[in-house]
Amino acid sequence: MKGDWIKLLKPLGITLLILVVLEIFSTALVPMLGITKYRIPFNVLIILYLGFKLETPYTSLLIFALQYTHSFFSIEGWEMGTIAGVMICIVISYLKDLLHLSSALITILVTQMFQFLWFVIVSTLLYLKEDNFSYIVEKFWRFVPESIVISLLAPFFFGILDVIWRAEAERSLGERV
Amino acid sequence: MRLIEDKDRRQRAILNIIVLLISFVGVARRNQSLDETSAFENILINSFAPIQSSVTSVRTEISNFFDHYIANLNASKENVELRKRVSELESQINAFEELKKENVRLKNLLQFGQGLGYKKVLAQVVAWDASSDYRVIRINKGLADGVRLQSPVVTSQGLVGYIYRLTDHFADILTVLDNNNRIDGLIQRVRAHGIVEGFNNEKSIMKYVSRAEPIILGDVVITSGLGNIYPKGIKVGTVSRIERESYGITQNVEIAPAVDFGRLEEVVILSAENDDQKKKEWEALDQMDEAEEARNQKGGR
Repeated sequence: MKGDWIKLLKPLGITLLILVVLEIFSTALVPMLGITKYRIPFNVLIILYLGFKLETPYTSLLIFALQYTHSFFSIEGWEMGTIAGVMICIVISYLKDLLHLSSALITILVTQMFQFLWFVIVSTLLYLKEDNFSYIVEKFWRFVPESIVISLLAPFFFGILDVIWRAEAERSLGERV
Repeated sequence: MRLIEDKDRRQRAILNIIVLLISFVGVARRNQSLDETSAFENILINSFAPIQSSVTSVRTEISNFFDHYIANLNASKENVELRKRVSELESQINAFEELKKENVRLKNLLQFGQGLGYKKVLAQVVAWDASSDYRVIRINKGLADGVRLQSPVVTSQGLVGYIYRLTDHFADILTVLDNNNRIDGLIQRVRAHGIVEGFNNEKSIMKYVSRAEPIILGDVVITSGLGNIYPKGIKVGTVSRIERESYGITQNVEIAPAVDFGRLEEVVILSAENDDQKKKEWEALDQMDEAEEARNQKGGR
């Protein structure tokens, strides 16, 4: 998928549609069931997938598109998530030879690790902007269960996204398995 | 410069830098207390929000179905018809009970704040914010229904928040639980001022309350009317914890919100008739600030 951005439009459209459906599920259905404290950040999961599996120079633009769509459902906006996403993709590009998503367990662990990095980046930005450390601590206790759910969903979810992006043939993280 | 040897890598690096720079500027410029939507955002939010609203309705219907019918599946064969009939009647009674409760709730809501001189717009909660970092709820009324940016939102129990983001048919409310929402509050009994800030899903905190103020648990906190957003006298919550350090000039006060956000279904938006006047006042204040800043810069030179 190198360089050819037109090829990216179709899978991007489908991925955005999936994100919209999942955001509606997360914002309308889950809170109505009484779970108002936690949300499942599906945008993070999709962005991590793009970082892990795609090799295209347009990753940052794809992340922007996903975060911009996410901003219709959250006042969080697109900016912080885009910064975190792009930075994580840069880190992944340097570590790609060390990471192997060869089993479900490893996928779960690697996803959890990079979600923690996401948390650190966003928390740093929030701290610089708000100067409120107790808020970050409170955010951390919400992050723990939310990130575990996302990590557990990752193997299944990445399988679906593999079909949409046809990424398996292009590149799996690290060596081909 | 091995990093940017080939074309793809160079392109990737350039795009990453551009997107990061734009994002950093966006973060610095983002106003966490007010957001004016563009026409494009308006269209998209207006397209997605009805789906959120429909999902909420479907969930209610499914829940009713499970509550009233599935429970009867274990009934014996000979009683099936009778039980079905009973179930239907119970379902009707439940529906009537629900209507009765809704009627009481709406009546209370509409009676609330009769003397405030605001136009009242009744709205239903359709969704919550997609990020658990923000305590924001989406309602099914917008600009077309007379809702304005920064209009206060209440229930018969007390203050919910204010309108943060607005489209033609939907609006987002920044609730009192969100830490970007700051309210000038007043302890009703002792008339002590402080700033109420959201903290987490269950409580807000009141800052900058003088240590000398004799606040006790259960004291009611109301809006002071300062700040040009909330009218005076709306109940925010009650004092649930007081923390006085052995040093310092203030005390930390925790507040349990008056509104039960876990069961929030309908809200009332208090839309001021003279919103345009308020907007002009804000603009005049902004212009004064800009003029003063320009004078200071001149003086500095």
